[in-house]
Amino acid sequence: MKKSSLLLLSMLVVFTMFLAACGSKTEDKNAAPETPKTETETPKETEAPKKDVSLRVFSTFGGTDSAREAFQAALDEFTAKNPNVKINNDTMSANDDGFRTKVNTDMTSGNEPDLLFYFVGADAQGFVDAGKVVPLNDILDANADWKAGFAPAALENTRQKDGNIYAAPLTGFYEGLFVNKKIFADNNLELPTDWDKMKTAVQTLSKKGIIPLAAPFDQSHYVIEHFILSAAGDKGHNAGLADGIDPNWEKGYAAMKELYDLGAFPKDAATIDLSMASNYFGEGKAAMILEGSWAMGNWKDAAVIDNTTVLPFPAMPGGVGTGKDVIGGFGSGFYLSKSTFDNADKKDTAIELLKNMTSPAVIEKIAIANGGTPAAAGVEIKGANQTATDGFAMAANATSVNNPIDTMVSPETFSTLRAGVQSVVTGKKAPADVLKEAKAIEDANKK
Amino acid sequence: MDARENKTQVVINMKGDRKYIWIFLLPTAAFLSIFLYYPFFKSLYFSFYRTKGFFDKKFIGWDNYDRLISDKLLGAATLHTLEIMLYVLVFQVGIALVLAVMVDNISKFKSFFRAVFFFPVVISGTAISLLFVLFYNYNFGLLNNVMVNLGLEKVLWLSETNALKAIAVPTVWHYVGFYFVLFVTAMSKIPEDYYDAAKLEGITGFKKMIKLTIPLILSDIKVVITLAITGTMKVFDFVWVISRAQNGTDVLGTYMYKKAMVDQNFGYGSTVAIYMVILGVVIALLANRLLKSEEITY
Repeated sequence: MKKSSLLLLSMLVVFTMFLAACGSKTEDKNAAPETPKTETETPKETEAPKKDVSLRVFSTFGGTDSAREAFQAALDEFTAKNPNVKINNDTMSANDDGFRTKVNTDMTSGNEPDLLFYFVGADAQGFVDAGKVVPLNDILDANADWKAGFAPAALENTRQKDGNIYAAPLTGFYEGLFVNKKIFADNNLELPTDWDKMKTAVQTLSKKGIIPLAAPFDQSHYVIEHFILSAAGDKGHNAGLADGIDPNWEKGYAAMKELYDLGAFPKDAATIDLSMASNYFGEGKAAMILEGSWAMGNWKDAAVIDNTTVLPFPAMPGGVGTGKDVIGGFGSGFYLSKSTFDNADKKDTAIELLKNMTSPAVIEKIAIANGGTPAAAGVEIKGANQTATDGFAMAANATSVNNPIDTMVSPETFSTLRAGVQSVVTGKKAPADVLKEAKAIEDANKK
Repeated sequence: MDARENKTQVVINMKGDRKYIWIFLLPTAAFLSIFLYYPFFKSLYFSFYRTKGFFDKKFIGWDNYDRLISDKLLGAATLHTLEIMLYVLVFQVGIALVLAVMVDNISKFKSFFRAVFFFPVVISGTAISLLFVLFYNYNFGLLNNVMVNLGLEKVLWLSETNALKAIAVPTVWHYVGFYFVLFVTAMSKIPEDYYDAAKLEGITGFKKMIKLTIPLILSDIKVVITLAITGTMKVFDFVWVISRAQNGTDVLGTYMYKKAMVDQNFGYGSTVAIYMVILGVVIALLANRLLKSEEITY
C-alpha cells in the first residue's frame, strides 16, 4: 500500500512538473515571463548582457480594425529603433464581447499584458480598483513634453472615478447618424435634421422597400444611447440609473416604437448583428445607421461612402435633448500594468514604448486610419474623406459630448436595456416596465 | 489446479497490475480534475455569490437560486433546449438510422457515402452557422434570392415562430454523419449468418430492417440517443451566430454565456450552469430508464 501511494505521489509530482513546464512555456510566448521560475530553456531572457526585453501589447487593433496596419507599423518602428526589444502584438477583434472577457481574465489571473489598450470608465473600474494598473499622473508629470503632446481635454476624459489618469488616450471617437445622402436625394427627402423630417423619411423609404435605419435589436448600443440622449438630454443620459429613473428615458424607448411602427428598422432586426447592419448600410441597402466613427472604414463602396454624411441624432418632441448632443470622447487608452512597472528590467522600456505609441506622430497616423479624433494637441486632420471631415465638424459643434451609456451602468443593466428594445418596439412590454427591470438589476449590482 | 487456486492467482496478479492501472489512469484523472471537476466545484462555489465583474464578489446565500426559480427567461431557454432536443432525437437519430440502413444495403461505394455523410462533422459549428446566416438572411440570403427568382415573396426565415426550427436544421445536419457512422459500424458487426438465415426464410427489405437489423443494434441506438441528448445541452454556436439568441431561440448554453460573460454576472451564470448539469443528468437518467432492455450478444 505504502509503496503504491509513494508511486502515486511521485507520479503526481512528475505530472505537475510537466504541467508547470507547459505553463511557463506558453507564458513565454504570450506574456514574457516576469521572472522565469522554472528552469526551462530560456536562460537568454534572465541574464542577457544587452538586456533583451520582450513586451506584450494587447489591443483591439486586429482583425478588421481599420487602424490595424497603422498600429503594427508604429510598433515596428519602435522595434527597429530598439533592436533589443521584442513586441508581441496581441490583438482581438472588438466586434463581439469576447475581448472584454479576455482582458478581464488576463488581469485577474496574473497574465497582465505589459501595455493594455482598453476602455476607460466602468469597464476598467474592476482592475483599476484591484491595483492591476498604475496611475500615469506621476509619469506624465515627469515627462513634460510627453504630457504636452496630449490635448488636455483628451487626457481629462480618461480620468477614472478616483481622479487618477490610468490610460493614455490615442484617438477619440464620436457616434452619430450616418446618412446616405444619395438615397435621400433620389427620394426627394430632406436630411433628417429634425424629428418630423426623420419620420417622413422613415415612412417614405420603408414604403419603397429601402431600409430606413439599419439597426439591430440585440446589439442596440447606439440605438439606446442616441434615443435616450435625444429624449433625456446630456444630463439625463449621463445620470445613468443609479439614482432613480429619469422619466425622459421612457420617451426615448417610446420614440423607438414610434419609428418602428413607421417601418424604420430592417425586417430582420431581431436576429442580425451589428456588422450585418453595417453591411446593409455599406451596400447601399439602408439609408441611415447609428454608428461610431470607426465604422466608416468598413464602407468600401465609393457610391456609399462618398455620399455619406454624419448628423447628430435629431431632438424628439417632448424631449430635452438639443439635437446637437453627441456621443463621443476618448473612451479608451493605454494602461501600464503594475507588474511591468514593478519589474526593473521592463519598466523603462515599457514606458518608452507607451510614450512612443502616444506620440503626436503615431496618434496622427492612427487617427487618419480609423477616422477618430486625435488625442494629441495641435494635430488637425482633415479626415480621410468628406464623411470624416463632416464628423469632426459635428463633434466640434456639439452642445455636449457624452460618454456612452454603457460606461454609466453595470453590464447586466445594459443587457437588460438592450433586451428591452425588441420587447418595447413590438409592444410586448411598456417602456416603463423595461426601465423598472433595468433599475432593479442596477440596484442588485450595487449591493 | 483447482478453481480456487486459480482465482487467488488472478487476485495476486491484479495486485501487481494495480500500480500500472493507477499510473495509466493518473494523467486522465488529473486532466479531468483540473478541467472538469475543479471548474464544476468552482461554479458551485460562485453560485452563492453576487459577482461584479471579475474582481468583486459578495456572499448572498441562496439568492441566485431564488432568482433561478422565478426566472422566466431561463424557463423559456429550457423549453427551447427541449424543443431542439426533440428535433435532434427525431431527425438526427432518425435520418442517421435511415441512411445507415440504406448504405448497409448497397455493395458499391460504401466508403464513399461514409466519407460524404461524415464530412459535416469535421467542419466547425461556427463555420456552418455562418454559412446558414447567408442562407437565411432576409435581404440578400440565398433562400430569399431563390424565392425572388421564382417570383415568390421574400420570407423572414428567422421570424419569431420560425427561428428555432431554422436553427434546428443545421444543428441536426451537423451531427447526422457522426451517428450514421456509429450505426454503420454497429451493423457491420452483425454476423452474416443471421442474414443468411433470414434469406432462407425469405425475409428481405423493410421487414429485414425492422425485425432483424434494428433489434440487433438496439444497444447502439441507446448510446446514440444518450449522446444526442447530452449533445443538445451543449448547443451554443448555431444559436449564437445565426440568431444571436433572439426571437425565441435562447437556449441554455447561450443564456448561461450571456449571464456570465456578457453581463459579467459570474455568480448567476454559475447558478445557471449548475442547473444545466442537474437537468442534463436527470434527462439522461430518464432516457436510460425508458430505454432499458436486455443486452444482446451475438
